Amino acid sequence: MVEEVEEFKNANLYKGVHAVDLEELYTSGHRTCQGCESALVMRDFVKASGPRTVVTGATGCMYVANTSYMTTPWIVPWMHTQLAAGGASAVGMAAGLKALMRKGKIPKEKINVINFSGDLGAGDEGLGGLSGAMQSPYDLLVIVYDNESAANTDIQASGLTTWGAQTTFSPTGPAKRILHERWKKNLAAMMAIGHPNVKYVATSCATFPPTDYMNKVKKALSIGGPTLIHTIDPCPKGWDYHPRYSHVLGELAVKTGIFADYEIVNGEVRYTYDLRNKKRTPVREYLEKQGRFSHFLDEDYEYVQAKVDEMWDEWELPGILPIKAGLKVKK
Amino acid sequence: MMQTQKPHLIRLEVNYRGIFQKTLAYHISGDVVYAAHKEGKTAFSNGRYSDDPQRNGIPCANFAYFSKDLTEEDLEAEASASMDITEAEVVVVLDDTMVKGLEPWGGYGIRPINEKVVKDGVVLIVSNRKPADLIAQMEKKKFPYRIAILPGEASFAGLWYFKDDMTDVRVLGAIAKVAPEIASIDTVANYVASKYKSKEKAAAARKAYEEVKVSTVNAGEGIDWPYPKPILPGWKDFDEGVYVKGVKRGFQMGPRGQNRNPDFKRGTSKTQRPVVRFDLCTKCTLCWYDCPDEVFDPTTDGLYDVNYEYCTGCGRCAEVCPVEDCIVMVDELKFENQDSPYVLYKKDPENYVKWAEDKKGKERLMPSPVTGKGSTVSKVETPKPFKKGVVK
Repeated sequence: MVEEVEEFKNANLYKGVHAVDLEELYTSGHRTCQGCESALVMRDFVKASGPRTVVTGATGCMYVANTSYMTTPWIVPWMHTQLAAGGASAVGMAAGLKALMRKGKIPKEKINVINFSGDLGAGDEGLGGLSGAMQSPYDLLVIVYDNESAANTDIQASGLTTWGAQTTFSPTGPAKRILHERWKKNLAAMMAIGHPNVKYVATSCATFPPTDYMNKVKKALSIGGPTLIHTIDPCPKGWDYHPRYSHVLGELAVKTGIFADYEIVNGEVRYTYDLRNKKRTPVREYLEKQGRFSHFLDEDYEYVQAKVDEMWDEWELPGILPIKAGLKVKK
Repeated sequence: MMQTQKPHLIRLEVNYRGIFQKTLAYHISGDVVYAAHKEGKTAFSNGRYSDDPQRNGIPCANFAYFSKDLTEEDLEAEASASMDITEAEVVVVLDDTMVKGLEPWGGYGIRPINEKVVKDGVVLIVSNRKPADLIAQMEKKKFPYRIAILPGEASFAGLWYFKDDMTDVRVLGAIAKVAPEIASIDTVANYVASKYKSKEKAAAARKAYEEVKVSTVNAGEGIDWPYPKPILPGWKDFDEGVYVKGVKRGFQMGPRGQNRNPDFKRGTSKTQRPVVRFDLCTKCTLCWYDCPDEVFDPTTDGLYDVNYEYCTGCGRCAEVCPVEDCIVMVDELKFENQDSPYVLYKKDPENYVKWAEDKKGKERLMPSPVTGKGSTVSKVETPKPFKKGVVK
């Protein structure tokens, strides 16, 4: 799985799960759901980045979960910031560290600055700040942990919720079966295409393929400049499945192709799990394991399958660039 | 000054598993209020504010208050001003594994399920177990109270797919039995019949009224509660600024070698715990790699110990484990302590395997992907024998 490419020869990539560091820097005792995938996203990024890391977290379920009444599972320094301020806080932290080092107030060394924001925090409300961070000259990494809802306030739809899902904003009912009619916002590609200076943008699933996510974090931190990783985080609470199956759904999200797993390194697209011109697992297997799609009829499964097929078979760059970006030149 | 008489007040607490039983608990605490209204009582219910945002499996509570003589404003002033209630005449427990203790958030400590019950009050538990088995895990009280068992499995579902197995109306029927002063069974059955437009549901409530078994728990019955009640710092004890002390960095190989958050352990979220057959382990690391609560402690011989204090019992380790029957999720009520299984195994491998197989039994429960669609039970013919020579 791990390819030794020239630009990552200093990234100390993990060669297999047995090589992963054993010490935890984000440890037990957090108020997350049973089987929470986002907790693994936190634990794994700080494991990959090591102890010389400072973390900022925008409001979201992973902020509230990590500060249950004056207790925390964090071992590295961690700061909470407002819902839409993820990008801005990372810029401020990176700039502050740089200034302190320049003035000789702290020793010069590499300190990783990582922000995590949810799909609502980074993808909807904090989009401006995120764009600002991506245009900044600092070394920082923004991790968008995408559980496809505002999970902290009991599951409201966000711009990144899958089409048709039940949320408190889009319950199913006798008058209208499907209330959530937006297709998922293409956040990672939007950030990559819209910010040409960004050297590394990736999508990932924390547990599948193993070590892939941690290595992407290592790559992002070693390449320098602002970088972004967008992870798909199955959420037992909001997606309504038994916590036992979190990794099953993560794996299916990648294998069915509904979530394209790729990285864009210096403008070059590399598919981590390439499903172009390949037989894909039917999307239905992924959808019917989730209670939020329990109202789906055959036609709904077919509609989602058709959209996924179109993405992989007809898009210019599957998962990234739609067919001519949906635009036509006027004749 | 006029002597004020104590107003008539009945307090009810509904303990349930976060998210899994949220809809169920809201049905119960809402419906019981409407039923009491039908008898002309003042009543209202509310969820415990600090439970939100709820998490899968975390212990949560709803409260309901009833009075014959207070007005709505007076009842609210009397009952709802605090975050948590201190006493309850009726304590409803929707999942029997909660008798092992409740720790809904950090700094709360692990508190007994019968902490709030008053003298001659009642703890109503939905369970298929005998009262003696449950009392054996509950705190001893200085006064007698009653325990009521409504036969049935804990009803689990998710946010969107609700399992309508009539547990909600059955619990209403049971409440009418153990606390008829809230509402009589006739009132409850009539209310259920009109709300759900279903004779079956009303019949289920009446059947539960007959089925519920009430017995007395004497003063001193139960256990000495092993967990201390934490003393929370007052506002003068806080340092300047808004910060939370991080966990001190510390790691060494072996059981309990990783530093963890000491003030919030989360272990009371689990209804099941993973039992590991170390002799079958191939050392693939996946249980440790996929555990979202970081409870697996690496050891020098490549095996992974489990810290049950922090385990939330999600079952991911059992699901990713590539070896059949190596990690199996077992009912939490079968265990008495949180001891390190690795230490037990190292001390006496043969006995450990025998013990593990005894706990695992011959039935394997497999939850369906959508929680509300139930579980399938399969039989394991003969649990695999202990293999000598595999241990390294």
